[in-house]
Amino acid sequence: MASTAVDTTSDWNGGKSPFGVSYGKLMMWYFLLSDAFTFSALLISYGALRFSAPHWADPNVVFNALPFLEGWDAPLGFVSIMTFILILSSVFVVLAVIEGHRDNKKGVLFWMTGGVIGGAMFLGCQAWEWMHLIGGLSHGHGMSFFGIDFGPGTEEYPMAFAYLFFLITGFHGFHVFSGVCLNMWAWWMTYIGEFERRNNNYEMIEKVGLYWHFVDLVWVFVFLAFYLL
Amino acid sequence: MGHLSDAEYKSQVRAVWLATAWLSIITIIEVVIALYWLYYIDPEGSMNGSMGRYALNGFFVIASLLKAYFIVGEFMHVKYETRALAITILAPTMFLIWFVISFLWEGGAWLGLREFWGI
Repeated sequence: MASTAVDTTSDWNGGKSPFGVSYGKLMMWYFLLSDAFTFSALLISYGALRFSAPHWADPNVVFNALPFLEGWDAPLGFVSIMTFILILSSVFVVLAVIEGHRDNKKGVLFWMTGGVIGGAMFLGCQAWEWMHLIGGLSHGHGMSFFGIDFGPGTEEYPMAFAYLFFLITGFHGFHVFSGVCLNMWAWWMTYIGEFERRNNNYEMIEKVGLYWHFVDLVWVFVFLAFYLL
Repeated sequence: MGHLSDAEYKSQVRAVWLATAWLSIITIIEVVIALYWLYYIDPEGSMNGSMGRYALNGFFVIASLLKAYFIVGEFMHVKYETRALAITILAPTMFLIWFVISFLWEGGAWLGLREFWGI
């Protein structure tokens, strides 16, 4: 009897989760940690190749276009809009998680709708940017794989830039796409009342939300590596 | 499963919008400074590799880490998890520090070899 009383003093004596979270949420965290290392490896190889090259593409020349405003020179313009869309989408999903803690099904559905729309808008923006960079528009400076014009002094090593740009933003975009799919699935499961039945404060919204915030987190560093540095 | 009290709910929502405001402000400052640099300080890109440019890049890195703090801490809720969970998630990322240093170092050495051999 005495030993059972002692057991409750430490989180690590068994009988409960020392981390205070469910198995599913903990495993989502470990998955995200491994995914963080994958993205880090990609971004750091970008850094290593960039450091090894005598010339590099000038982001202010490559990323200067806005949709519907052909011919404008607006460095950082479009990507700032994309960043805000993704941040807002992330915020909507946090609000959905909080509504879930109140067992407010309508609130969860409302904010998850916002999260899905934000993610879809981000994907649309990325599709436009890729189309623009691959095809190039009439005012020049297209980043096609074959006819490349990256601005002055960058004739020699632009290939690595183009490959890494499409690889990393593509891998991130794939995460956004799967995140949107997960969010839509979670929306549907909320709608049919599945999470209400589980009666665990909509924990699945939290798990899906963790993934979605991670996508936002990675974008911060993609934005840093490709557009700011 | 207990419900969130109204006071808790209000304070959580407020914390989320506060973090949103910080993320927006930091991003706006980053973009404004990048554009100011581009149009008023160094339009030709001639300061690439200078101390000033390194300082600017250092600012961008710190600003991004600050944004990461708000996303991981507030949106992903790590600030409110147990200490053990926060450590098990965050401690392994310390390896990234050496990862960055060693690979940028490697890239720099590679550039030195290119210049030495003229390729």
